[in-house]
Amino acid sequence: MTRGDSLSRRLLVWLLLPLLVLGSLMLLQAWFEARRTADRAFDRLLEAASLAIAEQVQWQDDRLWLDLPPAALEMLATDAEERVFYSLVDRRGRMITGNAELPGDDREAVSDDDTLLYRDVTWQGLSLRQGVRRTRLEDWQLREPFEVRVAHSREGRDALAAELWRANLAMILAMAALAIVALLLAIRTALAPLTRLRRAIRSRDPRTLAPLELRLPRELAELRDTVNDLLARMRRVRANQERFIGDASHQLRTPLAGLSARAELALRQDDPVRWREALVAMQATSTRTARLAMQLLSLTRLANPEYRPERAPLSLNAIAREAVREHWTACHRAGVDLGVASAAADVEILGIDWQLAEALGNLIDNARRYGARHVTIRVGEQPPSLAVEDDGPGIPAARRTLMLRPFHRDRDDLEGSGLGLAIVDGIARTHGARLAMSAGPGGVGLRVTLRFPGDTP
Amino acid sequence: MTLLLVEDDALLAETLTETLRLEGHEVCHLDDGSAARERLTAPGHGVALVLLDLNLPGCGGLEVLEALRAHDRATPVLILTARGAVEDRVRGLDLGADDYLAKPFALDELEARVRALLRRRSPAAELTVGPLTLDTRQQRFTLQGEPLTLPPREQRLLACLMHHAGTPVDKVRLAEEAFQGDAMGDNAIEVYVHRLRKRLANSAVALRTVRGLGYLLEAQ
Repeated sequence: MTRGDSLSRRLLVWLLLPLLVLGSLMLLQAWFEARRTADRAFDRLLEAASLAIAEQVQWQDDRLWLDLPPAALEMLATDAEERVFYSLVDRRGRMITGNAELPGDDREAVSDDDTLLYRDVTWQGLSLRQGVRRTRLEDWQLREPFEVRVAHSREGRDALAAELWRANLAMILAMAALAIVALLLAIRTALAPLTRLRRAIRSRDPRTLAPLELRLPRELAELRDTVNDLLARMRRVRANQERFIGDASHQLRTPLAGLSARAELALRQDDPVRWREALVAMQATSTRTARLAMQLLSLTRLANPEYRPERAPLSLNAIAREAVREHWTACHRAGVDLGVASAAADVEILGIDWQLAEALGNLIDNARRYGARHVTIRVGEQPPSLAVEDDGPGIPAARRTLMLRPFHRDRDDLEGSGLGLAIVDGIARTHGARLAMSAGPGGVGLRVTLRFPGDTP
Repeated sequence: MTLLLVEDDALLAETLTETLRLEGHEVCHLDDGSAARERLTAPGHGVALVLLDLNLPGCGGLEVLEALRAHDRATPVLILTARGAVEDRVRGLDLGADDYLAKPFALDELEARVRALLRRRSPAAELTVGPLTLDTRQQRFTLQGEPLTLPPREQRLLACLMHHAGTPVDKVRLAEEAFQGDAMGDNAIEVYVHRLRKRLANSAVALRTVRGLGYLLEAQ
């Protein structure tokens, strides 16, 4: 598992990303909320100050006149030392008095009565919060509208908003930290069985094929069961191999014991005629043993599922003829007539030439060994097939499949290794071919046929 | 003519040396791959034929073969090996070996191959199958010391069989050789074989039929 692609990292990223987005949104929302709260609190001051000023406006000498109460402005300047501005404006928009010429507010008042409008303004480079109170002087002979405009800079509001927001920020950060810790713990807990499984597999002795025994959550239990299935199959393969090795060792030891015993016996005797007999017997046995060792090697290679040699287009007629050329002399010496019956047209299959040669060699050898006089290799066209027919004693139908098992031999068979047909069967399987045994021509002897799938190249 | 035997198994080496000496060859035996490579890469190694095992201590047989073939393509090499598969045979022959014997082998088989390889090295003026001989330069046959005169087609047929004595020869190949492109019936070759058989009757040479394949000439 590389660092770049780990399950815990994936989980962490996909859980943290939404958490991060959510946290940012909450912070943003907290900021706006803090500002709104600060504005609400300070707007009350604007309201109180403007009201205090409006109450002091009087009508003297046919004009508006204001005696500014100092408390009105003091209430706007809090600890934050804001700058405070006010102006009194008459119905025609002229400034009557004030310390700054504050801009008006164009918005229509909701009612004719006394109203107060708040807004944020920028005036002479200063960011201000302004309240405009529209009201009028009223008595029984006079009805004079005017505006009181008050404003102060934002220091106090910003300080309050920041303070409120900081309190929120601390809480949100604490929550985020808690969430991340919980997340990490959850991921670790969820992935812990995976770590256990990995440790269990890593700490195993590579030679054991015993099933994995550990309790796991459902998803991983399925994985464990799959691995256990594979191990079970491997156990069966290994049991087969072990049986095969045991059989092979037995098969090789027996003739070697015979050789050694025969030599020992001969050495006890003085008669050269006996020596000669012993040597003849030992030569036959050693040749047979060497052949057995070779067959064991072939069978082991065929049984190896990793062994997949390249298949090439082959002519079955050529393979059959080559086999006859190779084995004719040996057969002739043993008094066996070996021949070939080629197909009229050339039959091509995809195959491995030396394996087919070995299969035919084994079948010819078997036929000769079991007392055939005439052996024919026959090439069939539809479907492509290779058959070896003989006129020997044959094999009863009931025992034919038994013959394919390695080391299986008939009781009266003293010569054979019991591997020949197993090898042929293995070769048939590498070629995807079917091995069939039937009685030879005219119901006499044996015919062993390799029927190839029709995969003409 | 020295034969070089490279074989590490003591019993087999001793037996082969003895056998080949009895055949009248001079045999030099080495049991180590590196020594064999040294001997064979020396200029003028004076070896007429190499009998080479593949599983050798020091340096593998195929490496010895490669080293030899790098500078000498003429000296025949006969591979002896316990690796039975045809695959290995193909590899050996690809590297320039001339023939191949899988262990275990019969001693007569070994003797026959050695004879054939030595004969191939110096194309013999004379081919012999039992009592039958062929003077290859003059295309003249002798059977049991008596000259055997044959019409041209039978001559070519018999010469071809003698060149491949002991191994079955394909009918098609024989027909090509004997008739040299003349279109003859399918059974024409059988007629000529029948005639040859009659001429060779009562001699120790047999012309055998290989069912479905062709014919083979061998000494009885």
